[in-house]
Amino acid sequence: MAAVTNPAGVTERSGRVSAPRGGGRSMETWKREIVRQLNHRDRNQHVMYQDLIRFYTQLLEKTSLAKGILSCSKRRPSSDSSSSLSSLLHQNNQLKKTTGELAYQVVELQQQIKIKECVLEEQHARLSEGERQWTGAFDARQELQERVEQVRGQNEALKAEYDALLERQSQAETKLREEKVRGGRLLEDMIHRKQHAAASMNNRNERRSRAREAHLQRELQTAAKSKVTIDSCSSTPTTRSTSPKIEKQNESNERGHARLFRSASATSPKILSSIRELFHRKRRGHSVCSLVEDLNSPAALCLSARVPARARQVLEAHEQGINAVRFSSSSDLLATGGTDRVIKLWEVRAGGLTHRVTLDGSTEGITCIDFDPGGSRILASSYDKSALLWRLDDSVPKLTLTGHSRKVTAARFSTLPHQVVTGSADRTIRLWDLHRAACVQVADVASFCSDLVCSENCIISGHYDCKIRVWDSRTVSCVQELPAQGKVTSLDISSDHRQLLSCCRDDCLQLVELRWQSNDRMCFRADGFKCGSDSTKAVISPDGCFLAAGSADGVVYIWNVSTGNLETCLPDKHSSSISAVAWSLSGEYVVSVDKSRLAVLWSDI
Amino acid sequence: MADDKDVLRDVWFGRIPTCFTLNQDEVTEREAEPYYLLLPRVSYLTLVTDKVKKHFHKVMRAEDVEEMWFEYEGTPLKWHYPIGVLFDLHASNTVLPWSIIVHFKNFPDRDLLHCPSNSVIEAHFMSSIKEADALKHKSQVVNDMQKKDHKQLWMGLQNDKFDQFWAMNRKLMEYSTEDGGFRYIPFRIYQTTSDRPFIQKLFRPVSADGSMHTLGDLLKEMDPTALPNEGGQKRYQVVIHGIEPLLETPLQWLSEHLSHPDNFLHICIIPTPTD
Repeated sequence: MAAVTNPAGVTERSGRVSAPRGGGRSMETWKREIVRQLNHRDRNQHVMYQDLIRFYTQLLEKTSLAKGILSCSKRRPSSDSSSSLSSLLHQNNQLKKTTGELAYQVVELQQQIKIKECVLEEQHARLSEGERQWTGAFDARQELQERVEQVRGQNEALKAEYDALLERQSQAETKLREEKVRGGRLLEDMIHRKQHAAASMNNRNERRSRAREAHLQRELQTAAKSKVTIDSCSSTPTTRSTSPKIEKQNESNERGHARLFRSASATSPKILSSIRELFHRKRRGHSVCSLVEDLNSPAALCLSARVPARARQVLEAHEQGINAVRFSSSSDLLATGGTDRVIKLWEVRAGGLTHRVTLDGSTEGITCIDFDPGGSRILASSYDKSALLWRLDDSVPKLTLTGHSRKVTAARFSTLPHQVVTGSADRTIRLWDLHRAACVQVADVASFCSDLVCSENCIISGHYDCKIRVWDSRTVSCVQELPAQGKVTSLDISSDHRQLLSCCRDDCLQLVELRWQSNDRMCFRADGFKCGSDSTKAVISPDGCFLAAGSADGVVYIWNVSTGNLETCLPDKHSSSISAVAWSLSGEYVVSVDKSRLAVLWSDI
Repeated sequence: MADDKDVLRDVWFGRIPTCFTLNQDEVTEREAEPYYLLLPRVSYLTLVTDKVKKHFHKVMRAEDVEEMWFEYEGTPLKWHYPIGVLFDLHASNTVLPWSIIVHFKNFPDRDLLHCPSNSVIEAHFMSSIKEADALKHKSQVVNDMQKKDHKQLWMGLQNDKFDQFWAMNRKLMEYSTEDGGFRYIPFRIYQTTSDRPFIQKLFRPVSADGSMHTLGDLLKEMDPTALPNEGGQKRYQVVIHGIEPLLETPLQWLSEHLSHPDNFLHICIIPTPTD
């Protein structure tokens, strides 16, 4: 090979030996020569042999592998091959044997192949079976996934619902807690108030018992002193003893009418008045109404009232202002009611008032008091929107009539048994059944009712709209309206139910004749008389001859009905506005009460 | 420049087809097949003949095996010369493939160095590089290199990785433009006719008058007999990497491009075959 290159190299070099001196081009020449020779060298020595050697190496590897397989059987014979022919024969035999063995092996292997093929088929079958199962399982899985999705969706919905419920529950719980707290607070409040009420009750009881003790002591003291006044006392029985005689005379005169003249009218020096009384009585005897009324009221009426002249007793009856005063039909019992929420009963004896019992139960001030005709019960109206009924022997109210929505200004026993009438600032008049302790009828009025009185089958009410209304008590409808000069503060009806007295804020007392429905009116005024409040109460004397009213300046004014003139006035005892006046049915006493806790008992002697 | 890179590539990938045959005297269990191999010119015999060794071990008993060595036509081949040099020096004008006889006995201690492992080859290789750099740059470049750079040079050769080797070897081939070349050209001239193993002297790439020295200048200085005589009779061939570069080829360029990986320019001067 090199021999081939050399001639070329020689030939080229012969033309180029002088080149280095020739110039720059020769630089390229020698380099090109080197590249050419290198390529030539590689072609001859490398490329030509590359594949050949690779193939040879592969062949070598293959043969060596084959040799490796056969070497085990061939090694020994080859080592013995140099020996004789017999050994060759032996070798031949051995080879035949091995051939047989190999053939047997081939058969065996073929059998094995068959078995393997069977196994393969089986496996194929199993594989296809497995694939079928797989597809089945895949479908089932997909189904399950769908179900999972569904269930998840449902779960989410449920969860949302649950969350909402949870939230609501928490809200409800917080509300419950708040309510509990509020309940607890209310309970505490209530307990507190109850304690307070109990404490005040205790206080009151204590006070009352102390007062009773003091009273007892005072009584004891008076009893101790009574020895000295024994002579003066003896005169009273004598006067009393005379009255029965007259009673008997009267009984015969009055056709068996039961009359009880417990007043001292018989002994009264005013003969004129007694004659008038007799006349008056006859007149009443003609009316059926009076007959019924007389049956209802066993209490006596006096023949003539005596005009009081001086104060018998002045006492501080209540702890606060006194609003109402009333004599019982038997005239020996006086009831006063005040802003201090209690009613006090006083016995009228020997020209003095002695405290008998205190009735409590009202939670506000008392506005009006009425005794029932039998004198065993007392009715009062109260600022606490209720009316209360006591039995005289019990200081705890027997009944509390509730239903009015504002203060109750008036409460009266009706002419019918077991019925009472109340008037209220809520512009209603209510009829109550005492058996049922319930309101049976309600009359709506246009105006504030300040006072009312009851007559046969009718109720008369006074109002702030300057009107006096007459109601039929059976239908509770307004049958008549009478005008007044001002706000009506009180009403009173004469014992014969023929005359109605109204007191108005225009400082005028008005006496209306009811009998003929003539609205025959008489006005009574006086210099200095001034109506002190919206509930100032004026009265007609039991014989109907006089009118009594208290003024704002603390003076009691008494007018004569027949003359229409002021009969007398009783000053100097009250220091503040007189709120009510009462005249005993016996005609003997007048009691006035004022806003500054004073009660004054007036009489003619 | 592209040509220069191609030259480097061709030099690196130069191969010699070789047939290894086991020495007749070796005791074998069976007949040993010859083994053919393309040997890289730039590598070392003992570095690339593991397969040969394995091949022949198959047919030999382990107790008969000693250190392997190679012989070509009675000449033990020195493993510490690059393969290309051995071929060019001893067998350049013979029929290919190169037929080498493999021995496992009677190691010629007088002629050959022992090669128990690749680390010996590495040490030899690295010492050659350092010697060459000492000539070229007063050892500055090689001393600036780190251990891993040295390793990269060796691994490039061992695993036949051209790019890996030249990435580092490039630095060894650099020189300042004002010098115009290396300090001295690291070269070795081998002669079959001489008793000396090779000629190695100091020789600058640039002459005193500033012109570049050529291959011819080198030979004129070292071995004038190698040059053709007056009559144009060419008695010797100057072979590098199996080729005969023109004598006017600049020595500096040759050193840069036709040097072996050990950075030496190995030049073989062999008698022209007479047919």
